Amino acid sequence: MNEEKEVEEQSKPLVLEKLEEHHADALLAQDEMRGTVVVVVRKEQAYAVLEYLKTDAELAYTFLVDVTAVDNSQMESELMQFDYARFMVVYQLYSYQGQCRLRVKVPVHESDLSIPSVTALWKGANWLERETYDMFGINFEGHPDLRRILMPDDFEGHPLRKDYPLRGRGERERFNFDKQNV
Amino acid sequence: MGLDFVGRGVGETDGNIITTSIEKVVNWGRKNSLWPMPFGTACCAIEMMATLASKYDLSRFGSEAIRFSPRQSDLLIVSGRISIKMMPVLKRIYDQMPDPKWVISMGACASCGGVFDTYTLIQGVDQFLPVDVYIPGCPPRPEDLIDAVMQVQQKITSGASPKGVEAVV
Ligand code: SF4
Repeated sequence: MNEEKEVEEQSKPLVLEKLEEHHADALLAQDEMRGTVVVVVRKEQAYAVLEYLKTDAELAYTFLVDVTAVDNSQMESELMQFDYARFMVVYQLYSYQGQCRLRVKVPVHESDLSIPSVTALWKGANWLERETYDMFGINFEGHPDLRRILMPDDFEGHPLRKDYPLRGRGERERFNFDKQNV
Repeated sequence: MGLDFVGRGVGETDGNIITTSIEKVVNWGRKNSLWPMPFGTACCAIEMMATLASKYDLSRFGSEAIRFSPRQSDLLIVSGRISIKMMPVLKRIYDQMPDPKWVISMGACASCGGVFDTYTLIQGVDQFLPVDVYIPGCPPRPEDLIDAVMQVQQKITSGASPKGVEAVV
């Protein structure tokens, strides 16, 4: 029994150990999904945690693979877990040094859709955050150029939200060619 | 001479003189030198490229001169999905092409939206452009595109106006 326990404790990923040591109050949950460590982090400390993950010499998650979001408004089980936060902003990180991936999730309430931009940490976050803003309406504070990136500039709404109709609101038939900047 | 617009005059000629109408000569020229403007936005464009490459060799039909300037082309090949953001661009390119101009809508997506029945995809470019020939398929084979070009050629030979002109007149 003791041996088994030891093995289990040893196999605890380094990143979780270090996060528990330095940012224990920011951690809401932790999980593992197909070999990838997943941590859920409080929004207030999200920037500090991401900065720590990137700059810590041992962890060195220097590569921001993706930023996206999930609309959980129709997932009661998910909603209940995190104080009915409708959105979950997801950061996928990769460490070349440790050759491992990490998923950081941040619950965002609909009443306050702002979250600090990480463009200061990773320049590549620029377009990823613009896409997340375009599709979900998440407001990345401190982003240098938060405009739509996929949908036309005059588009209304955020189409990857679950309450947006799949076939749209008639925008694909109603066309004003004069208004568009081509 | 073997030219398909040849018509003989009433009087006997000894084969050195051809009488015909000016439209027929012009159309013969147009038919054999259709310069396509490729508007490839998705997977169908790969088949279009294959059609232009050596194996299928669209130059056999006089259409090897692909023009990436709409002002030098008279055949618009819409091959791929057109999103609501792309539609004004496509419309402008069509408007820039000189008359007479023909339009081929290649594949299910360009013709009706295909499987992408979503908020962002135009459900058929013919809502906004006069399409002369549709090609079904997902993607259509190069033979289908060649067939469509030949149908455009037939239209030209027969003296029919492009859809775009009919719409105006
Ligand atoms: S019709 Fe099929 S092959 Fe052509 S663009 Fe659409 S999905 Fe791609």
